[in-house]
Amino acid sequence: MTISRRDFLKASGLVAAWTALAACSPVQESTPNPTQTLAPLPDPTQPSIPSPTPVPDSERLILHTLRRMTFGPTPEMFDKARRFGLDAFIEDQLSPESIPDPGIGSLLQPFSTLNMTVAERLQLERKSQSEKELIEATILRQWHSRRQVFEMMVEFWGNHFCIYIGKNLCQVMKTDDDQNVIRPHALGKFRDLLHGSAKSPAMLIFLDQAESLGESPNENYARELLELHTVGVESGYSHHDVAELARVLTGWTVSGARNRKMEPGIYFFNPDIHDNGEKHVMDLMISPGGEEEGLTILDMLARHHSTAQFVSKKLARRFVSDQPDPALVDALAQVFIQSDGDTRQILRALLNSESFKTSAGQKFKKPLDFFISALRVTNTTTDGNSRKLLEHLRQLGQLPFSWQLPDGYPDTADYWATTSGLLDRWNFGFLLVSNVIRGAEVNLNTLTKDAASAEDVVDVLSLRFLGERLPDGARSILVDLASSNNLDVILPSVAGLILGSPHFQVR
Amino acid sequence: MDTKISRRDFLKLAGSFAVAPALPAWMPRMAFAPQGVEPPGDILVVVFQRGGMDGISAVIPHGDGDYYHHRRRLAIPEPEDGSDQTGIDLDGFFGLHPSLRPLKDLWDEKTLAIVHAVGSPDPTHSHFDAMDYMERGTPGEKAIPTGWIGRHLQTASWQNDSPFRAIGMGGVMQAALRGPIPITTLKSIADFHLQGGTTQLEELRARLSSLYDLGSPLDHHAVETFNAVDLLAKIDVNNYTPSANAAYPETEFGMAMKQVAQIAKAEIGLEVACVDIGGWDTHNQQGQLDGELPTLLQELSSGLASLYHDLGDRAKRVTIVTMSEFGRRVYENGSSGTDHGHGNCMFVLGGGVNGGKVHGQWPGLAPDQLFGPGDLPITTDYRDVLGEVVEKRLKNPGISEIFPNYTDWKSLGIVQG
Repeated sequence: MTISRRDFLKASGLVAAWTALAACSPVQESTPNPTQTLAPLPDPTQPSIPSPTPVPDSERLILHTLRRMTFGPTPEMFDKARRFGLDAFIEDQLSPESIPDPGIGSLLQPFSTLNMTVAERLQLERKSQSEKELIEATILRQWHSRRQVFEMMVEFWGNHFCIYIGKNLCQVMKTDDDQNVIRPHALGKFRDLLHGSAKSPAMLIFLDQAESLGESPNENYARELLELHTVGVESGYSHHDVAELARVLTGWTVSGARNRKMEPGIYFFNPDIHDNGEKHVMDLMISPGGEEEGLTILDMLARHHSTAQFVSKKLARRFVSDQPDPALVDALAQVFIQSDGDTRQILRALLNSESFKTSAGQKFKKPLDFFISALRVTNTTTDGNSRKLLEHLRQLGQLPFSWQLPDGYPDTADYWATTSGLLDRWNFGFLLVSNVIRGAEVNLNTLTKDAASAEDVVDVLSLRFLGERLPDGARSILVDLASSNNLDVILPSVAGLILGSPHFQVR
Repeated sequence: MDTKISRRDFLKLAGSFAVAPALPAWMPRMAFAPQGVEPPGDILVVVFQRGGMDGISAVIPHGDGDYYHHRRRLAIPEPEDGSDQTGIDLDGFFGLHPSLRPLKDLWDEKTLAIVHAVGSPDPTHSHFDAMDYMERGTPGEKAIPTGWIGRHLQTASWQNDSPFRAIGMGGVMQAALRGPIPITTLKSIADFHLQGGTTQLEELRARLSSLYDLGSPLDHHAVETFNAVDLLAKIDVNNYTPSANAAYPETEFGMAMKQVAQIAKAEIGLEVACVDIGGWDTHNQQGQLDGELPTLLQELSSGLASLYHDLGDRAKRVTIVTMSEFGRRVYENGSSGTDHGHGNCMFVLGGGVNGGKVHGQWPGLAPDQLFGPGDLPITTDYRDVLGEVVEKRLKNPGISEIFPNYTDWKSLGIVQG
């Protein structure tokens, strides 16, 4: 590079600095797929010249979008979004199969249970191996994958169709749910997710559907299918609807260890335990039809206007604000109906809405958002032993698949913004950058190698961690600290404080 | 405008959060003056059994023949002297599940009262709505954003600025605690301190404190956190030995109860502690004498009894109340479990309790008595139980504000005072 980092830090704000940070980063984003229509790219051999002008709104919008739609914006991503243009970048992210993700395969390579059949996992001597590996794989993908929007949606739908991995055989079956239901349809049609989930052995076991018998059905899954997965409790169904739906679903079960016709742990419809009478669910008369009855109901629910509202509101809560504007929710629900529940189209509408664009900083990071973003922005490396890191995530409160109730982890600040939650975040941030968490390493010297002064250190680190400089008040507190001692000694404190600051707790 | 508004101004601005929830209820705290705190009433410990406890397995109506008629596989056998495979008789009609054995002594010494066929009158069978209504204290009504305990703290006539005035164990703020009074959430006393670089800790703390004094909505949380850290630093966690050989279960619930005892004994201003115990949603193979439900009942009773015994003399000024969002269907389902129901039972434990009695009206389990799809009807509104505890034991007469729009409130004589 021809100009020193120090110079442009003085000269400008986030655009130039982020671009330059990306340019000196060891990890380069790949060139975008040439078959796609993308904004013209600048000549990559020429370093960007820092602009002395204030940060334009379009750059702010990129930063805001990245904060919301990724597990933590890195300089590389910011640079890519800037080169592509935001719209093209989003389109790119909405076609994850077109984004090369070469590092992921080798990261997941050690996890043998991901490649086993459920029958093989059921044979494991230590079944907890399956649970542990799925959780680790999930964290690694969120942390390292370039398909960030995709991984965000995997997390969203996995939480929507929540399965507690600690319940019985969910320990070995949640892996199939993740691989065969959530991941294939995370950016697809809601209907496919719903049908997949209804036939997912882990779900049928988690919500006791697998053992629901014709003469006295178990209502657990039927109730949550309406309340949590589709129309929502405010849509006005009755207990009678739940009971009738439970009758419809009798026979949707999972093959057991003694099944002679098929491998264990597979969904199948068992007509012997199906209630073959006529049923009435939410004004729909269901004639006896075996498995078809349930399929009919699932189709009805997948296209129900209350489902469109319920899912849209949840998406808006995740990506816009804890109390989303009802007009936004209505608009998204419209798109849901028109597109037959197409997640890509709903996300496009969401990202294009004024509500979204004007909501910067309004979401309090969930513990998982905080944790992964800290790992990403600090460029943490790992020796493959994530045990200690996962203990911290558990302490922070959001280990994947570990919420015990079927409603999934909450998504609002009034649940997560607590005293103990804040303390846990401060501690994790300090411990991470102090390199005392076994298996994780942060190289602050590399991140700040061109910073010569206390001011530089604070600016470089806040640009790297937050995507922008700290406001003057916070900045001067950190500059004062950074000036108080030898920079090498004080670096972890400065870095830990940025991760612990109020600015890093929002997205 | 000067960008730095004073804390006092910020509090004024933020005080009307209930009306204009621009940001979620990140509520401010008042000036802090932690010493000499002596509230007039009891310490209240609320145990919430998440998932819906099967109340007629916990406290069995063995004198009601319909119980054995409906529960062919799951009913707990009629009490027999000296057997640990039957119910434990209480009064000739009701009995405890054998896994609740640790509660029997407390019943005998009349510090444990039971209320049966009690609950929230809203008919919902949704866990989430039922919990929400119950914790708000306004069944069927979601207009008021605060919780019943939050409103109790708000309307109490005394001041207590301790960060441990009200605590949410398990690191979560239970919805009942919502309100303008700040809540400290706590997982582990031992871990509740700043970690990291050793020598620089004081320095770090000072800077963190400054970073959270610049007008962010999180500022008051940081202040509370520092105050809580300071107070907890005075508690010797490593050498804690429970009194009376109390053996808390080695579970999250057990550890939470133990820490409530530690905080109560430390005299740092504790008034209310909320503790959760999950896993009660027993749709499938819930177990009769062994299994999922009996294991939970064992954990519950041993946690309750341990806390009571551990508190020793202090238990005279402590009231422990249990609740769950609903009971379970009287009819068992085809997978040897029970679906969501309605009425349930509550335990009230403490030195000021009129114990040794099952309070309330038993409606009977005859099919024509059952509620909705076959549930135990509610003959006592849970607000009657809580209201009486708040008024007589916590010494707050503001029931009409704590349970707004509830005009039928009546005292059952469950507690003294």
